[in-house]
Amino acid sequence: MARIVVLGSGIAGHTSAAYLRKWLNKSHEVVVVSPNEYYQFVPSNIWVGVGRMKPEQIRFKLEPKYKKWGIDFRRAKATSIHPEGGDGHEKPFIQIEYVGQGKEGQTESIEYDYLVNATGPALRFDKTEGLGPDNGTTVSVCNFNHAAHAWEELQKVIKKMEQGENQKIVIGIGHPGATCQGAAFEYILNVYHEIDRRGLTDRAEITFLTNEYEVGDFAMGGAYIKYGGYITPTKIFTESFLAEREIRWVKRAGVHKVDKEKIYYETLDGKYHEMEYDFSMLIPAFSGPGLKAFDKNGEDITSKLFKPNGFMVVDADYTPKPYEEWKASDWPEVVQNPDYKNIFAPGIAFAPPHTISKPFTSPNGTKIVPAPPRTGMPSGVMGKIVAQNIRDVIKGKATLDTLKHKASMAKMGAACIVSAGYGMTNGMAATMTVFPIVQNWEKYPEFGRSLTFTIGEPGLAGHWLKWFMHYMFLHKAKGYPFWWLLPE
Amino acid sequence: MGHKSHLTRITRGYTEFSYAPIPTKFTKFMRKCIIYQAWRWIVLNIKILRIVAFGHS
Repeated sequence: MARIVVLGSGIAGHTSAAYLRKWLNKSHEVVVVSPNEYYQFVPSNIWVGVGRMKPEQIRFKLEPKYKKWGIDFRRAKATSIHPEGGDGHEKPFIQIEYVGQGKEGQTESIEYDYLVNATGPALRFDKTEGLGPDNGTTVSVCNFNHAAHAWEELQKVIKKMEQGENQKIVIGIGHPGATCQGAAFEYILNVYHEIDRRGLTDRAEITFLTNEYEVGDFAMGGAYIKYGGYITPTKIFTESFLAEREIRWVKRAGVHKVDKEKIYYETLDGKYHEMEYDFSMLIPAFSGPGLKAFDKNGEDITSKLFKPNGFMVVDADYTPKPYEEWKASDWPEVVQNPDYKNIFAPGIAFAPPHTISKPFTSPNGTKIVPAPPRTGMPSGVMGKIVAQNIRDVIKGKATLDTLKHKASMAKMGAACIVSAGYGMTNGMAATMTVFPIVQNWEKYPEFGRSLTFTIGEPGLAGHWLKWFMHYMFLHKAKGYPFWWLLPE
Repeated sequence: MGHKSHLTRITRGYTEFSYAPIPTKFTKFMRKCIIYQAWRWIVLNIKILRIVAFGHS
């Protein structure tokens, strides 16, 4: 009888837990530890942020779902991992602190045979002075609460414009090393759409502020798309989207401070700038949640399991090397910790070997480069292969040294649909697929990716696709009939 | 000042807008033409399914 503990209930963790429960009989325990009350379909937060969906439409309560499935749910945050046991435990265990279920503040140890660390990112608004909805002056669309608040603030701005006031709107990236440029780009296009359909574009000065070297980088070094008789970089398409809407853009910008009137940022040439705003959504830096780790003697081994950014060490090549020597093989295949092989870290929780985009540093020493994105599809795929591998080991079909199911971001593709406005007859989205996610310059020496499987196309069909996927992925996440037939 | 009126008073040259392609009216029409987009919906579903098929080992 095995116990698998899954930390986190996002796309990666929930996917792992669901498949493990499906594939293993009830003699094996599946435990999910998460501080969240709800599962949320993160890609649709953008639509909550512009009032096109309500939080209730993108989330559902975890506890009743897990109870129905036979998953032991603990509404708690994990505080430490003890992969060698100790403190009276023969087996490895985690330490948790409850944040719900009537046990707030109580701590508990949970032993495990396999651990899936799928904690996702901690939103580090604190890394940029004045950033964020809680202690700062900018809004966020990173979770449904933030997105609902963003819509409240956006409505105030719209009302001012309706009353004849001009408004400055700045949307983008709030830290030199933050990621999720695609989400910021989606949000600015949706905000523009809502302003445009109200006939208020003359009152709005909208700016996209990003740490990308060129817009269209999307933290993956950009991509090349065969379209209209040319092989065109995504920089051109992205600039076209912005220019068509007369949205200004500022690139190579590292935001370091925000106050109630201005955003302060440095550009790659070392110059410092200020930008006034009335409404701003800036994505924060991410880190791991700050888990600690201890060996059987109680010695701190956090640096053995985690990188300084709090993300978990896995089967990646972390050897420091210059950009020109980066390889596809640097990226992990099974997201397994090399020292404690019964620990896995799918989704955002694993430490990438390096960025995907080329790193640049300003003359002042500021590194301005997007961190690698881990979007829904690769997170879900990684969550599934972790479940497949654990299942195979439990059933004796593989060992922890001979895992068969692999999902390297340098060998798999992703589909991403960038909404540019909600509406079944007047909406739009850019449908993109990239293959592979991380460029493989050895296999595709000219453009880094397959031109056959890397595509991009704007249109109403993209909106229908994104709308359809919202309901399809929620159907899957809720475990409705034939959920397991739907792809990640 | 609203950005649209600003652009109508200056030349397009030498701003960030100067060098980006702008879709023609026909292109914009086709992006929202329901019949054409219904066909593209089918094609895009197939293209996405191809990526899913290559998703992992």
